[in-house]
Amino acid sequence: MTEISYQNLAQTHNWEVREDITAAHRRAWQRLGQAGTWLTGAEKIAIARETRAALDCQLCQDRKAALSPNAVQGNHDHTGQLSDLEVEQIHRIRTDPGRLSRGWFDGLHNDGMVEERYVETVGVIANMVAIDTFTKGLGLDPWPLPDAQPGEPSRTRPPAKRQLAWVSTLAPEDAIGTEDETLYGGGPTAPHIYQAMSLVPAEVRGFFDIAVSQYLPGAAMRDFDNEYRAINHAQIELVAGRVSALNQCVY
Amino acid sequence: MMGDDAPSDGGIDNGARLIRFATAVLGDDAAELAAAREDIADVMGGAALTDTAAVAALFNAIDRVADATGIPLEDAKAEVTADFRADIGIDDFAAAQEKGHAG
Repeated sequence: MTEISYQNLAQTHNWEVREDITAAHRRAWQRLGQAGTWLTGAEKIAIARETRAALDCQLCQDRKAALSPNAVQGNHDHTGQLSDLEVEQIHRIRTDPGRLSRGWFDGLHNDGMVEERYVETVGVIANMVAIDTFTKGLGLDPWPLPDAQPGEPSRTRPPAKRQLAWVSTLAPEDAIGTEDETLYGGGPTAPHIYQAMSLVPAEVRGFFDIAVSQYLPGAAMRDFDNEYRAINHAQIELVAGRVSALNQCVY
Repeated sequence: MMGDDAPSDGGIDNGARLIRFATAVLGDDAAELAAAREDIADVMGGAALTDTAAVAALFNAIDRVADATGIPLEDAKAEVTADFRADIGIDDFAAAQEKGHAG
């Protein structure tokens, strides 16, 4: 069992990683090996492995360099554990997210993609990218993946609808009175990024468990009278903005 | 903002260093990333380095959540950011027509 720890950075470089980040990463690694809502633990580990493999895929590199990703055809270099459809989803999200399109998404759907599994896969990719980019930034090797645990997905679906995004989402007003009422803090509105993966509420909770430690809790984001990190609000937003610009993210 | 020239601080303390690191952590140049990392640690301290890495990594992930689910920008945010989004080239991104804003 992998035990995530950043203590050696403090000892060797005097680079302190906040304990809440370490704790969030440990929880994420524990969730990764467990059955989720629509995916088994083994499927989630396979998706995590494929997320890493995508970075070495020649087709993805050729597409990234092309004027349009659709101009380059071929086969992905992959781990052989997932369907072609799942590999295409994972590789494109990992390597070229800024050029994903509604047409691409609809193409996957028409080819048999299951929307609930798609959203949970997005969650696994997001967790992997958040943690792997962090370790890369600090010069560390990626953490070994956890072992898959036995168990079946819960297959519980909230009353989500196609209304906001390409995927079905749970509107804040529709969450009131359901077991997912706390997803948005019980309020009548929520930023779209909170709603993005709400078809699989556990993925929202899991991802934002990482987000509040690596970025800021909601109240701290808007509290410009106080600073909560070793870099200030303006510096945080500069880093965030630069990363999003490089990813060509319009959100 | 997207050019290859050496970044300026942009009115933010150590802004150029932070931009250098954010750029390097998304790139493939290990030596440049190592240099950017050491520069922040030397000047701003180890805690600043780890918090910078945390933010960069989180947004590298959150961008994928937004782009893979196709959520639009909230109308209110689109309205108040319209001028500078155009000025700095965000409206020219491939996804701008697909996922511009909800309105």
